[in-house]
Amino acid sequence: MVSDPYLGKYTTCVSARSTDKEILQKAQDGGIATTLMVYALEQGIIDGAIVAGKGDRPWQPRPFIAMSREDILKARGTKYNISPQISLLKEATRSFGLDKVGITGVCCQMQAVRKAQLYPVNMRDVPGKIALAVGLFCMENFPYKSMQCIVEDHAGQSLHSVKKMEIGKGKYWIYTERGNVVTLPLKVTHKYEQPGCHVCLDYVSNLGDISTGSVGSPDGWSTVFVRTKVGNDVWSKAVASGMFETKPIEGVKPGLELVTKLAKEKIDKNRATVEGRKTFGVNKALRDPYA
Amino acid sequence: MSKVVEISPTTRHEGHSKLTLKVNDQGIIERGDWLSITPVRGVEKLAIGKTMDQVPKIASRVCGICPIAHCLAGIEAMEASVGCEIPTDAKLLRVILHAANRLHSIALHNILILPDFYIPGTETKINPFTKEQPVRSVAARIIRIREIGQSIGMIAGGEAVHPSNPRVGGMYRNVSPRARQKMYDLAREGLVLAREQMEFMIAVIRNMQNREFTDVAGKKIPIPKTLGYHSQGVMATSPMYGSSSLDEKPTWDIARWKETRPWDWYMGEVTIDLEDPSYPVGGTTKVGTKANPQMEACTGVPTMDGQPVEVGPRARLATFKHFDEKGTFAQHVARQLEYPDCLYSILKCLDALDTSGKVLADPIPQGDGSLGWAANEAPRGTDVHLARVKDGRVLWYEMLVPTTWNLPTCSRGLTGAPWQIAEMVVRAYDPCVSCATHMIVVDQENRLVAQKLI
Repeated sequence: MVSDPYLGKYTTCVSARSTDKEILQKAQDGGIATTLMVYALEQGIIDGAIVAGKGDRPWQPRPFIAMSREDILKARGTKYNISPQISLLKEATRSFGLDKVGITGVCCQMQAVRKAQLYPVNMRDVPGKIALAVGLFCMENFPYKSMQCIVEDHAGQSLHSVKKMEIGKGKYWIYTERGNVVTLPLKVTHKYEQPGCHVCLDYVSNLGDISTGSVGSPDGWSTVFVRTKVGNDVWSKAVASGMFETKPIEGVKPGLELVTKLAKEKIDKNRATVEGRKTFGVNKALRDPYA
Repeated sequence: MSKVVEISPTTRHEGHSKLTLKVNDQGIIERGDWLSITPVRGVEKLAIGKTMDQVPKIASRVCGICPIAHCLAGIEAMEASVGCEIPTDAKLLRVILHAANRLHSIALHNILILPDFYIPGTETKINPFTKEQPVRSVAARIIRIREIGQSIGMIAGGEAVHPSNPRVGGMYRNVSPRARQKMYDLAREGLVLAREQMEFMIAVIRNMQNREFTDVAGKKIPIPKTLGYHSQGVMATSPMYGSSSLDEKPTWDIARWKETRPWDWYMGEVTIDLEDPSYPVGGTTKVGTKANPQMEACTGVPTMDGQPVEVGPRARLATFKHFDEKGTFAQHVARQLEYPDCLYSILKCLDALDTSGKVLADPIPQGDGSLGWAANEAPRGTDVHLARVKDGRVLWYEMLVPTTWNLPTCSRGLTGAPWQIAEMVVRAYDPCVSCATHMIVVDQENRLVAQKLI
């Protein structure tokens, strides 16, 4: 078990890619989260998964409970705004009748899942039913209106026409169906981030069973941290059955160095925000979420 | 010369209550008063001005054993007031939820009453917490039946205890096909266990009924053949679910109901002059203590045609299934006979349930202030809620809960029993006292407060 102040605890870290061509077609990077959930569902490790599906408006995610491969595939790709995954966590064990729930989500959502397990207030009978939690790397998130502003006002594209969005190499990338590619420097998008993200001290979903994200691996591949016994069990079986191709993280560029660098950047910056809030205002402070 | 003995508090049931008993020289009760001493909840006053969606959820918090009955009765009283018909699938989900609640409640009651009974053929009273067989496997079966009841309730109702899924106009969500199958599997498993449990309990109850004596604190107490007999009537609205003023043929008649005060039903001030320090647990009230049931009782006394009535499993079976036994043991037997009924109801509803069906009425009327009532057959009897809703807000709300009906009736049933087994008579009603408490009668000096207003 490796314990890193910025990358959390993990047993294994690899660079990986799904071997499923259909998943890769629309996956954000290596298709790790989708493939893991499909594998877990097909093997009976989970009965269903809470994933971010399509909402009412273009590129607006809405959590739903996927109980088949087709449903899980509908959730491929990153949508850069908020999908309230935890809102369905209890319902999954109720009217959906799931005994083994899989859940995907970003860092703060993994924290919420673990908190629900540790202090199951209003979460009766939920803790033991969470069978697999796959966390995603997350630098920050945007409210829907912010993303609309970025795409429509700054990039001048219509949200309907967007095929893929991506944050990488210091830029916000927007690809449209007709082939337009717009890049925006991140300093333009910073002001649109939701303020809650600025006190988050987690970059690589330290509390997931498995966490994954593009940073650290080459294009089309993802970096995967296996963190728990449950995660290790699922991951090793999935790799053994040929669901993933893997490379040692030490052998790929840019590798763990970049992940650590970005994690450090986020966490140090946000720690400063948390500190700054203590003396914000006159004779009063903003709430410290970690107090 | 009669003496007064008081058992306070009574034990092994929900809530706080006490027994003030006038007994003769042989210790046989001449007049018994069983009264609630649970602090008032005040739900009916809290309800005024709240939205019709909030009130049933608040009402369900009155207790933790049959909150489902209160929630459903509350919701249906609102629906009856506003005149809202709900979709069939929503009704089916409610019946499933209701039956699941009754199932787990009966199992819980088994645990509470078993220490009064003997293992058939022995002189050993049952301790449901012992590790020894056969009691150990009975306890395990009871726990599993409760788990099954609560799991089914959790799926159909959103929560095992205070259900979140029911709402005015139907239900928030229908269940998935997988959830329906899960409930079906649980009910099938439950049916086998419930049948075994029913047979075990009936054997234990009949064994007790045939005994001449029972042991209380080392003394041999005779068991009269007429234990718990009373000559009050019975009231039930349905064998399983209930009725409301929206029904084509409502089975409860509001015109026959009249609420009276404990003042009219309970005895006045008495001084305790009989004491038994060996009575479990901790002895009876000390000699010289004063008791005043008229003042201390904090329930109303609802009557039908001017008389208190019995509600509960025996009342249901007597009304709808020609069950003709009376008394404490008949009540116990009737309750066990409801075990399979609950599961058959669940299975029947699951067969009829369309998981893609609509479960919410559209539109939901907001009400014009007319009176609506709904009676729900809670595990321990008829739970009637009455409401007036205008423009979505509750103008008036009243809960006539099962134990409120049973308190004065059971008081009559105590006559003729040795006082040492009076608690057995009480327990046969499966009392749930906290919800029965719904008004404040006395002030700090024990004076009746504003008698005319309450």
